[in-house]
Amino acid sequence: MAELKRPGGELSNRPLHFIWVVDCSGSMLGEKIGTVNHAIQNTIPEMLDAANNNPYAKLLVRTLKFSTGAKWVTDKPTDIDDFSWSDLDAEGVTDLGAALELLSGELTIPPMSDRALPPVIVLLSDGMPTDDYKSALAKLLSLPWGKKAVKIAIAIGRDADTDVLREFTCDKQLVLEAKNREMLVKMIKWASTAASVVSAPVLNAENSAPDAESVPSITPVLGLSSEGDVW
Amino acid sequence: MDSLKQGEVYGSESGGRYEVVSKLGAGGQGEVYEVSDNGARYALKWYFKRSATPRQKDIIENLIRIGAPDSTFLWPQDVIVDTDGDTFGYVMPLRPPHFRGIADLMKRRAEPTFRALCRAAFSLTRGYEKLHEAGLAYGDISFGNLFLDPDNGDVLICDNDNAASADVAPTVYGTPRFMAPEIVTGVAKPSRNTDLFSLSVLLFNMLMLHHPLEGELEKNIKCLDVPAMNRLYGTNPVFIYDPDNAANRPVAGEHDNAIVYWGVYPPRIRELFTRAFTAGLDCPAKRVTETEWKNALANLMFSIVVCDCGAELFCGDNPPTCWSCGRVLAVPVSLVSGRSRVLLQSGAVITSHHANGDYDIDTVVGTVVQNPANPALWGIRNDSRTDWTYIKPDGTQLSVPPGKSAGIAKGFQVDFGELVSKFI
Repeated sequence: MAELKRPGGELSNRPLHFIWVVDCSGSMLGEKIGTVNHAIQNTIPEMLDAANNNPYAKLLVRTLKFSTGAKWVTDKPTDIDDFSWSDLDAEGVTDLGAALELLSGELTIPPMSDRALPPVIVLLSDGMPTDDYKSALAKLLSLPWGKKAVKIAIAIGRDADTDVLREFTCDKQLVLEAKNREMLVKMIKWASTAASVVSAPVLNAENSAPDAESVPSITPVLGLSSEGDVW
Repeated sequence: MDSLKQGEVYGSESGGRYEVVSKLGAGGQGEVYEVSDNGARYALKWYFKRSATPRQKDIIENLIRIGAPDSTFLWPQDVIVDTDGDTFGYVMPLRPPHFRGIADLMKRRAEPTFRALCRAAFSLTRGYEKLHEAGLAYGDISFGNLFLDPDNGDVLICDNDNAASADVAPTVYGTPRFMAPEIVTGVAKPSRNTDLFSLSVLLFNMLMLHHPLEGELEKNIKCLDVPAMNRLYGTNPVFIYDPDNAANRPVAGEHDNAIVYWGVYPPRIRELFTRAFTAGLDCPAKRVTETEWKNALANLMFSIVVCDCGAELFCGDNPPTCWSCGRVLAVPVSLVSGRSRVLLQSGAVITSHHANGDYDIDTVVGTVVQNPANPALWGIRNDSRTDWTYIKPDGTQLSVPPGKSAGIAKGFQVDFGELVSKFI
């Protein structure tokens, strides 16, 4: 006689929202956007692999682009299993504020669920905002999920406004300066691993100092960004 | 960027020559490669420079000197130092591909029977016990460094490079949800006692597919981030079935596995988990020891009866009710000696553990068989190499040589040499 499967379901998990926010202004045209498209697409199999080995999180990914205005590229939070990268084009100005407005709309409950792991937002930009981003950023950071989100910024090239990116991440260590193509690829890969670190942070006894030549060890960096309250 | 290239050959400290075959994966401390030495395949963990400390190398060399505690460990066996001396790696046995990660168990992509699951839980406990006997602490018992064969419950323990004795500063503090509260709150370092806590968490997760501290208090947390985890698993941990504190009961719809499974297991298992996560939370000396777990898990494994509907049930002293179809089953006769108990149903086996009390649950010494002359009569056939003695209630003794069977009858006893067992 065939044995019956053990009862119950899988381990209960929480959604983990991972959002790529990509600057698609005209200055990104050419190599920069090409590298970004290629590098992010290449992180997907590794993110999928990490998600498969992580029973605590249901990883939901989406993309938001901004140039003249901002737009969700992925309509809804999409299971990493079903997520595929759509190549982005570059044209227009740098309306960061418009992107932050859209983020705020999604990080409000609802549509955001009331129980989740900290969302991860990765912002990539090569320039300075052309709209009034200040009030949009203040609104985002006033939202509980906006505050709790792990916010990482990748400054592409030498013209990126790292001060603005620092205001966004609220943490100097989470602004990564990609001065060349190789560093950009490395940092995109680094940021993509934040999802698994956020859901099951590993505590190393030695918090090795960020290595200027490569990228910092992600755990201690993310550990520093957490606030002391429970919500 | 991979640190080692396919085809490169590295000489080891013991004179081995290992050729890099392929990259298997990467973690926080380094990368793992498959390597070949004269056709024999091994795994090589190659440290990133920042993790390749002299202390780590000392730990590895000490582990090699001590040797693997038992066959469940993928233990370091050789050291390779990079040609420029900047980093190093260690060689260990390669994990066969049919072993699956515990994440697969938790996500229900690997479905062992209850029997295989009990065997896996028992073997892991025995493995960590052997490690502790060698004077070491594992330091990071959690899902990520264990593998199981869902068909039979064989297990493998990897990432043993953090195992160290108490006098060595730890390289890793553990994994959230598994660390003992005193580590989360920063008052203790990994030790044998914190391993015991992590082991209880692991066993609860494996058996119940749920975390023992995640109930209403977890449900009420919106953002499960580091401060929230510190509270749930560190400063304010409450067992979901704490008999004296109902603040953290599992919530239907959110924690269904905890509700489904708690009643499936017999009282002894529930008692041990209750102690592990109440008194054992802040009093390491009250934690459940490996011996207690081994006794309970062995009895659990040999208490399974299969219902007509196909469901495996754990049978204690009272007739069990099937968790699947609700049928009430009769309790078969069991053979009891000291702390061990085995249910005697068709096809059941008696192991060395039941005859000798040695925790060897794999070596079969007897099998439940029907009397060929009268199929209504059942007995246990002596599959061992030594004679047993069958003792009737009136004291009469009969010899049971290998190949012969002793009739199953309540009140009768079997003297196996080491232990005397009674049919109950």
